[in-house]
Amino acid sequence: MLGFVIQRLLQAALVMLAMSALVFVGVYAIGNPIDVLISPDATQDIRAEAIRRLGLDLPLWQQYLAFLGRLLRGDFGTSFVFGMPVLDLILSRLPATLELALAAVLIGTLVGVPLGVYAGYRPDSPVARAIMAVSVLGFSVPTFWVGLILILTFAVNLDWLPAGDRGPTVQVLGIGWSFLTLEGLSFLLLPALNLSLFKLAMMIRLSRAGTREAMLTDTVKFARAAGLKDRTILRRHVLRLISIPIVTVFGLELGSTLAFAVVTETIFSWPGVGKLIIDSITSLDRPVMVAYLVLVAFLFVTINLVVDLSYALLDPRLRRHGAAA
Amino acid sequence: MSAPLLEVTDLRTHFLTRAGVAKAVDGVSFSLASGEILGLVGESGSGKSVTGFSLIGLVDPPGKIVGGSIRFAGRDLVGLPPEEMRALRGRRIAMVFQDPQATLNPVLTIGQQMALALQAHARVSDRAAAERAAAMLARVGIPEAATRLSNYPHEFSGGMRQRVAIAMALLNGPELIVADEPTTALDVSIQAQILAEMKALARESGTALIWISHDLATVSSLADRVLVMYAGRIVESGPVGEVLRAPRHPYTRGLLDSLPAMAEPGQRLRQIPGTAPSLLALSPGCPFAPRCPRADADCDAPPPRVEADGRLFLCHHPLEAAA
Repeated sequence: MLGFVIQRLLQAALVMLAMSALVFVGVYAIGNPIDVLISPDATQDIRAEAIRRLGLDLPLWQQYLAFLGRLLRGDFGTSFVFGMPVLDLILSRLPATLELALAAVLIGTLVGVPLGVYAGYRPDSPVARAIMAVSVLGFSVPTFWVGLILILTFAVNLDWLPAGDRGPTVQVLGIGWSFLTLEGLSFLLLPALNLSLFKLAMMIRLSRAGTREAMLTDTVKFARAAGLKDRTILRRHVLRLISIPIVTVFGLELGSTLAFAVVTETIFSWPGVGKLIIDSITSLDRPVMVAYLVLVAFLFVTINLVVDLSYALLDPRLRRHGAAA
Repeated sequence: MSAPLLEVTDLRTHFLTRAGVAKAVDGVSFSLASGEILGLVGESGSGKSVTGFSLIGLVDPPGKIVGGSIRFAGRDLVGLPPEEMRALRGRRIAMVFQDPQATLNPVLTIGQQMALALQAHARVSDRAAAERAAAMLARVGIPEAATRLSNYPHEFSGGMRQRVAIAMALLNGPELIVADEPTTALDVSIQAQILAEMKALARESGTALIWISHDLATVSSLADRVLVMYAGRIVESGPVGEVLRAPRHPYTRGLLDSLPAMAEPGQRLRQIPGTAPSLLALSPGCPFAPRCPRADADCDAPPPRVEADGRLFLCHHPLEAAA
């Protein structure tokens, strides 16, 4: 197990290295940052001085190594627009996205898996057909449209929930969170629902397919022969048998939602990293873009590692026993 | 003799497929006394497993019991409400399957699986369940049973896994166990052990046993009586010794002749020519006729049912009774 962890950590480091090179080439080496950094009417001397100070006169590989060195020290530079260290800026926005993404993926999983298991257990029932219709909608209706409809329905017409923004937060561990108060939750609900629709559809499909397959196995037949109730079989046997793909998708979806909740955050004016990155792209705030991309890569690598390790918890055959009989 | 434990009358289990109706079990009748061991023998597709699954009400769709009755301890199981059937399964009628690798859940410990089997029928605390499970594992010959409850199926050998499955079947003290080829997936040496233990367990607990197998040799060492099935029907039945010594149906003869143990050394094994007929298009005559060395024009008509001295066979041209 320890060997496995070390091996995965080395792989993770390699992925991060490759990602840093891509980000560097993509954002720093292409185009001319100097045009963005200093005003167009600066004199030639000021311009030359800035180029030297930023190291832009050095060969590409030296610039990359310097960039890498700064990254390793946690120095992502300073935002052009906000004039504060990029890392602080992103970390101030990350909790908002984190709780939004987590809420969305949790709703999708906790609602989607039971629905999908039922749809797989009774595939021909009208309820199962209705569930599958919902999942088709979840896949095919664009997120931005659903977001607008949600706002129109629940915020504008019914006036039950706020239309956007994050509302009040409660400070815990020096970070503001919305989900701890009822009012905060009311702000969180609509964007989380909006984001969760696609995940819901995915979880329904995944657990339906897994359940249909599991119901045909001798394991389920044997459990039936032992007189177990179908409900017990679904809860104790089937759910465990289908848990590995579900955990995998949970992890991947959490990662991609954290990174790409952009559309929803924009529609609901949710002050998360997705909105930050869109703003920084429009204002050509390069350090923010770089830091964001590197952090996203880091996030995915970490989530994948956690998912891999959780397999061993879910499937005893993947554990290596020192003293197995 | 008192009323039998199980009385199956004219059981018909058909599969309503798109290609037509497959009569997997077509008019099977037999009875079984408490504590009796019955061998159910036939080739693949003869309907022997479907008969077993019909008894516990677990025929997979599109299969369906379309006729007949299964009287078990005075109640007809055909048409019993699903919940009552469920309550019966595992408690009074248990089943052991062919491949323990596939039947035990790989991600639950055997202690958890045995506890579920107990708790399906009675309020049993986890602790009491573990004690009963351990006692049953010890009875089927698993050493250090108490500590092995926390093991997963993959930590057992094939033979041990089947013992676990047998222990699960015995847990609730059933009156009848249906065993569907439970030794087929095992080594020959383990087979013999499990057979002997199964027989001893059934005898000492007074459990009736239906042993489904394609292997006449296995059945001969275990069963009191044997039923030979062909194309969804019973073609011959009787006490196991008599049937094996002097079969009356040519199909039973053919099965016996194809056993290696019965052959003369150096001779080629005899086999039954042809293959089992399609269950979709059975003629009204004897289904075995196309493969039968004794068949003639008579065999186009349904074979007569001959019953004498506890033996039964369906044949126009039976083999001679032993002198």
